[in-house]
Amino acid sequence: MGAFILRRTGVMILTALCLTLVVFFLTNLFPNLEKLAKTQGNARMSDAEVVSWLDRNGYGGPMLVRYGEWLGVMPGWTREDAETGVITGRCIDFGMDAADAPVRCGLLQGDLGFSTVSDEDVGNVLPRRLMLTLKLMAYAFGLMVPAALLIGVLAGMREGSRLDRTLSTLSIASTATPEYVSGVIFIVLFASTTAGVSGMLTEWGWLGDGGWLGDRRTLFLGSARSAMTDITFWNFTLPVTTIALYGMGYIARMTRASMAEVMTAQYIRTARLKGVSFRNIVLKHALRNALIAPFTVIMLQFPWLLTGVVIVETLFNYNGFGWTMVQAASNNDIELLLACSIVAVFVVLLTQLISDIGYVFLNPRIRIS
Amino acid sequence: MEQLTWSGSFGAFLNPLMLVSVVIFIAGFIANTVLTIAGVRAGELEFSGDGTVSVSRTPLDYALMTMKYAVLLFVLCCLGYIVGGLVLPTTEAKGILGAMALRLLPVWIALITTFALSIYFKRKLGLYGKLFDSPIGMAGFALVMFWVFAAVFSGIFPLVPTHGAIDLISGMRNELPGMAIATPDEGEYPFYLLGGDNLGRDVFSRVFFGAADVLAITPVATLFAFMVGITLGLPAGYFGGTLDTVLTFIANLALAFPVILLFFLLVTPEIVAAGVPQYMSMVLFLFPIIFLVVLFNSRFHTDPTRRNIYVGIAAVVGFWAYFSLISNADDGDLPLIFRIWPEYLDGFDIAGNLLIVFVSVVFVNSPTVFRIVRGITLDVKTRDYVAAAQTRGEGPWYIMLWEILPNARGPLIVDFCLRIGYTTILLGTLGFFGLGVSPESPDWGSTINEGRRLLTIYPHPALPPALALMSLVLGLNLLADGLREESLKD
Amino acid sequence: MRDFTDGSADTGMTTHPVAEMYAAEHKAGKLDRREFLVRSTALGLSAAAAYSLIGASPALADGHRAVPAAGGTLRIQSEVRALKDPRTYDWSQMANVTRGFLEYLIQYNNDGTFEGVLLESWEANDDATVYTLNLRQGITWNNGDAFTAEDVAANVTGWCDSTVEGNSMATRMGGLVDADTGVIREGGVEIVDDYTVRVTFPAPDITLVPGLADYPAAVQHRDFIGTNPADHGVGTGAYEITEYEVGVQATLSRKEGHTYWRDTYLDELVFVDLGQDPAAWFAGAEADEFDMTYETVGEFVDLFDAIGWNRTEVITAATVVVRPNQNNAPYDDVRVRRAIQMAVDNEVCMVLGINGQGVVAENHHVCPIHPEYAELPPLVHDPAGAQALLEESGHADFEFELVSIDDDYRKNTTDAVAAQLRDAGFNVTRTIIPGSTFWNDWTTYPFSSTNWNHRELGVQVLNLAYRSGVPWNESGFANEEFDTLLTEANGIVDADARRVVMARLEAIMQEEGVTLQPYWRSLFNHTRPGVVNGHMHTKFEINVHYLGFEA
Repeated sequence: MGAFILRRTGVMILTALCLTLVVFFLTNLFPNLEKLAKTQGNARMSDAEVVSWLDRNGYGGPMLVRYGEWLGVMPGWTREDAETGVITGRCIDFGMDAADAPVRCGLLQGDLGFSTVSDEDVGNVLPRRLMLTLKLMAYAFGLMVPAALLIGVLAGMREGSRLDRTLSTLSIASTATPEYVSGVIFIVLFASTTAGVSGMLTEWGWLGDGGWLGDRRTLFLGSARSAMTDITFWNFTLPVTTIALYGMGYIARMTRASMAEVMTAQYIRTARLKGVSFRNIVLKHALRNALIAPFTVIMLQFPWLLTGVVIVETLFNYNGFGWTMVQAASNNDIELLLACSIVAVFVVLLTQLISDIGYVFLNPRIRIS
Repeated sequence: MEQLTWSGSFGAFLNPLMLVSVVIFIAGFIANTVLTIAGVRAGELEFSGDGTVSVSRTPLDYALMTMKYAVLLFVLCCLGYIVGGLVLPTTEAKGILGAMALRLLPVWIALITTFALSIYFKRKLGLYGKLFDSPIGMAGFALVMFWVFAAVFSGIFPLVPTHGAIDLISGMRNELPGMAIATPDEGEYPFYLLGGDNLGRDVFSRVFFGAADVLAITPVATLFAFMVGITLGLPAGYFGGTLDTVLTFIANLALAFPVILLFFLLVTPEIVAAGVPQYMSMVLFLFPIIFLVVLFNSRFHTDPTRRNIYVGIAAVVGFWAYFSLISNADDGDLPLIFRIWPEYLDGFDIAGNLLIVFVSVVFVNSPTVFRIVRGITLDVKTRDYVAAAQTRGEGPWYIMLWEILPNARGPLIVDFCLRIGYTTILLGTLGFFGLGVSPESPDWGSTINEGRRLLTIYPHPALPPALALMSLVLGLNLLADGLREESLKD
Repeated sequence: MRDFTDGSADTGMTTHPVAEMYAAEHKAGKLDRREFLVRSTALGLSAAAAYSLIGASPALADGHRAVPAAGGTLRIQSEVRALKDPRTYDWSQMANVTRGFLEYLIQYNNDGTFEGVLLESWEANDDATVYTLNLRQGITWNNGDAFTAEDVAANVTGWCDSTVEGNSMATRMGGLVDADTGVIREGGVEIVDDYTVRVTFPAPDITLVPGLADYPAAVQHRDFIGTNPADHGVGTGAYEITEYEVGVQATLSRKEGHTYWRDTYLDELVFVDLGQDPAAWFAGAEADEFDMTYETVGEFVDLFDAIGWNRTEVITAATVVVRPNQNNAPYDDVRVRRAIQMAVDNEVCMVLGINGQGVVAENHHVCPIHPEYAELPPLVHDPAGAQALLEESGHADFEFELVSIDDDYRKNTTDAVAAQLRDAGFNVTRTIIPGSTFWNDWTTYPFSSTNWNHRELGVQVLNLAYRSGVPWNESGFANEEFDTLLTEANGIVDADARRVVMARLEAIMQEEGVTLQPYWRSLFNHTRPGVVNGHMHTKFEINVHYLGFEA
């Protein structure tokens, strides 16, 4: 087991290295650097000014060397101003003496670099944003997983029944409704003063001044910004539901398939013949075995949800990880983007690892060689 | 002319009828739920001693029956609108639904013909025919074929749309569904059936032109992804070893990349300007050619004449299409390598943005297909018929392409359907982030994104494409489900 | 010597017949006061003028701004971008935050007047080459230093340093920058005494004052020229940044222990960044996340109205031109250009392009709010005549390719022009180019649309875009009479005197069919009821010192 995890960790690091190199390459193509210079310097800079800006800010060197600098295996760039003699460099912070600065400052030294778009160290920005997304994900999973398992088990315990058909069609419909459709529909229905149910509720006096549902003007809030400091039922329901809905159908269908398979297994048939009640069969015998397959699916769902998180955070103005990634990508914030991709890669690979290990624990028939 | 009503003159009695059916359905549903909770069981067959069979009916059965009839009534009402659209004389009398039904007449005819023929010949049609044994599969197939025919009769034969995809009429800005055009030109359709968008374009026409756009991109992109995935997945699974390790690592690498980040990195104008999509298409589009050449070569290698003909045709057509696709001599910004292909041989040019969307979608889908194909190959290669072929001395490519691949078709077809749906959603996601095909493109993702900004006051421009996207993806999912069910029965 | 501050700031704009009607209704009790103020100011009346119409005397600070109650926290929806050296600012939003502590020498008001902030007054000599700036006395920096002529001179020197990448002040300083060295010319700025600075131009220049009022002209402490204000926080204003998270929000709080030189009201300001999607802003408004929008656009103007927010509007000289380039056939033929102008109804462009939110323009790129605007006879829309003229020119079969950027209102306006040209018998195809590549060749497209920002003086745009051979001359217009008259106008400091020359310049623009310039855009914002002085500004400025809540 230990060797297995070690090997997987090695693969993980190799993957992260390759991916960051790709991201580094794409973000350091000249048109992208030009965009960076223009957003950081001034949108109306001339071509010569762009080159001089890039040079002055350490984007001039060969790409691989700069990747090495970011990793921390190469010494950080330094540059002496021809006129003033002031030395600037990658590792020299504002107001720091050049002599005191470390030679290398990169990933290996624990320095994630500087985010140009946030004007802050990546190490400051990212954890804050990740925390927010973690909360969102936790709530979304908290809603999605139990609901999906319930639907899947109910549908799968009597395959082909009317309940099964209804629930299966519903779960297919939920996988056919991407977040950008459901989120938009939710906002219109529940978070608009002019359309949907909120106007009606205000008229009835349930909302607005003195309404028993609160003095808001809409039932739910169409913007989750306030949830960043204080999560309430009213400001977090819509984003959480939007994320959960799209993923729910998939897990439910996996659970249904797994449950249906288990229900036809020999031992269940034996139990039925022995006269065990249907309820007991489902709860005591089938459930545990039926949940092995969905477990792996649920874990693999994490990276898949990332796209959903990006859409939902953009739609509901929740400044978490997904939103940060969009900001970083659209502003070509190289080091923030690199950090984001490391996080994303580790989420993907870690969940894979957990799903593999969990599969072994749940299923005693499998041994990892 | 006045604004059209939704249901026209049939609405006078169809609307109440429809309402009644909905009320009955809801009542039946509530009764059903209450009875189930109360512990009432459905009736069962009873065998009486004299050999006759009788069915005992409980209240639950009656509740279910009412629901069934309510649904039937509802469907009949819907049919009524369509028939009304076909038989009633004026557009006012037809109403919006009737008028839309009439515009969709070619689609109905094609759909009915397809179903009639398919059901008649279903025993001779293999897996496809079996689809018509599964109600879910049939429903899915109907939805998918509706959009396919709609796309054909919009994109190729523009019979369905009433106006052009980018024709705008200033007075029709954000107008509600059924609005008449103030001063229609001679021969111009006098109504905006589903209203106008914020530029005064016809929403109805744009939804159907959008269908043509979406269905022109997604199946082809998915097919390309399958060719790439199959070309790499078969040898990886069959040969194993270092090749497998390397390819699997690369596939996992691509899969570890969050899709959305990949798109942001690939679909920005700066990357397009740097020629990255061209380089990527250069690599990715090579695979379909390799696939076809190897396919024919391995099949006919015992018959050199036929082999040469097939392989020659595949190679010539393939490379002509390949160079036409990746080269664009007109675009002076591209690196030289993409401009050397002579203009007179350049069959078609694809705008940079469409190409990059296409390439990205292929790139995102290929690794998953690769993994599926590899998995199936690992499984199938242990079968007896593979061993038999090996003993016969067949070459590895023959075994892979003509022994393993046909036996893997079931799961692959199912996945193909699902993947088209997924690609449609992906395309919409791109549109949502403003990275779509082109600014004026009527494709659904871009229209939803445009319409969502004003959704709270004008829901009509955004909802039709949203519903269209949902119904197509739903159809594809149901179809995949039906296919899976039927193929499992093999 | 002529005093620029001697404008009409105190009297506001002339009254409006409908406003007078509203005033009568108000006096008769049919219209409450707020409703009256909203309606009459929407007609373009300044608040002061509106108040004077109904004989009320509002509590006004310095003659034209209402006085809010003290205290409170105001939240403004606005992008929060990374701050940098103010000279290199390229977004008004950056300046709106730093305006809380970095003030300006001069400010530009919606009615087209300039008003001193850190300057008490300023004078120019008759040929507009020597400017004397008189500083307001008794202003201190929040680090305790006094604000003196030394600060102003240091800033002017900094603004003129064109060697700093992205220093957009250098172009605004014009002739003050030495073309050879790229920095301020010798003797360009002199300190006369502690509170007087003299600026000397080699040639007449009347654009110094608008330049000083522009958002990159924030005045920094003499020791901090060229630094990011977020790093040091030294300024003359009443506030300091207490929180700054790019893309999320920024907070300004009143600076403890600093005496501001005039009254200010709010305790705290929060700039809430809700991204660039107006739909998200609206959702934020419905979720009560801010009290005032930075700008409200398009249909959202009506939406914000519908939820009971107060709308403010300002007419600006921001516009879109759809111009043929005369260096390309057939646009070298004046008949073709005239035919284009006759075929297009500017009002239709305005309705389709910007939802009718603006004022119809007259194809000469001088706006009624420019001080030197001269009124000409109205334009004639005559598609039949246009067709005849086009046929006469012999280009009836020509395929006109109309280019535009891929963007909402510019694209829509250009589409509207194309549709109208087609109606008049022109054979038009449309080409849409994405924003990233459009600007590479914007001056050379044969027939394309371009947006132009608001400029304070009518001659500024004419100098930039229509003088023979200047870099931004996108219409390829070269006319000797026009150039001569324009040079003459540039040397006339007095707006009324300049107007005489302007009338002829405008007429030439129309006669030559230089450009199709259909409308002036109006800008809108919304404030929650109770917010005071949150009026939309022509150049998107928000001066946090004026804001507050109703008592």
